[in-house]
Amino acid sequence: MKPLQELSFPEELRYVESHEWVRVENGVARIGITDYAQDQLGDVVFVELPAAGKTLARGAAFGSVESVKAVSELYMPLSGRVVEANPALDSSPELVNRSPYGEGWMIRVEPSDPAELAGLLSAAEYRERLKG
Amino acid sequence: MKPSVPWRAVRLGRMAYGEALALQRRLVAARAAGALRGDIVLFVEHPPVFTTGRRGGRECLLVPEETIAARGIPIVAVERGGFITYHGPGQAVVYPILHLPQNGLGVAELVSGLEEAMIRTAADWEVAAGRDARNRGCWVGGKKIGSIGLAVRRGVSFHGLAFNVDLDLEPFSWIEPCGLAQVGVTSLARESPRPVSLPAVERALARYLGEIFGRFWERVSRGDLEKELVAWETAVEPRGGAPPPPVPSPPG
Repeated sequence: MKPLQELSFPEELRYVESHEWVRVENGVARIGITDYAQDQLGDVVFVELPAAGKTLARGAAFGSVESVKAVSELYMPLSGRVVEANPALDSSPELVNRSPYGEGWMIRVEPSDPAELAGLLSAAEYRERLKG
Repeated sequence: MKPSVPWRAVRLGRMAYGEALALQRRLVAARAAGALRGDIVLFVEHPPVFTTGRRGGRECLLVPEETIAARGIPIVAVERGGFITYHGPGQAVVYPILHLPQNGLGVAELVSGLEEAMIRTAADWEVAAGRDARNRGCWVGGKKIGSIGLAVRRGVSFHGLAFNVDLDLEPFSWIEPCGLAQVGVTSLARESPRPVSLPAVERALARYLGEIFGRFWERVSRGDLEKELVAWETAVEPRGGAPPPPVPSPPG
């Protein structure tokens, strides 16, 4: 695993302690897992994501990633309705490792409670939590 | 991280797969809620059972499901990684219920440590085992002696490793283990010049897991663990109405 200073946490994103990130674009939240999470998981070989239309509460499991024979659950950083799951991850799950904040994004969600956005962590706050 | 807290080992002996699975899921919920006094590692042996992973595995059966059902062997779909595998008497199964962040562990590290424990255990019986980077687990000259399949829920690991000590390997010939065609399997009894026993292998696995992850062990009986679990489950559900949802036993 990489030391913390070699991992990247873009300033413009928001984070949760369960290691997902959020980027709000035109009212829709794009969600993925952080550089720290992909590094901890190792090579991702399979990603299971929800169908569009599914409504999930903050903290609920929305899918899972399988790496090195381990399946880890993924959790909603905010409540909302899934509008799209990243279709590229079906055939190219390794994008999660290669580009966790870009092509390796997981779902797009219409937030049902915009107030929840205020409770997300900044990059600095997330980094602070990782130091434990 | 609390490295001073020992891991607690529970020896379950022979237990039906469904029963051990239900216990694991209750332990994961309690551990994730911070209700247990630290991490738990279950040591168990299962009656014959096939289990499939999150990505499935029934397509890896080489015989009709009816043939397996006729032998009274259940097929259980579970949430772990990996494909179809077989468990049976004479196989050492270890389920680490660990809070990974509190142990400062990532899943890749946990998998690697489980492999290492199997490799060192095999060495104790004069068997040179190793890794295969393409397919995780423990290998002896191209044959699989130990498998790994884990799940992580709310930061807590469950499922684990299965190490072939001395068991009937025939049921493995009914599947393509781990989704790989033409992979042979073997056991410690088959490879080692020395006599093997399941309790001795369980002790060796425990010793090496402690060494590798830098933890001391404490023993806890199933009965005491059950009391700890029930105390928390009752507190969470104070009206005493709904017990935790039971996991249905596999048919047969």
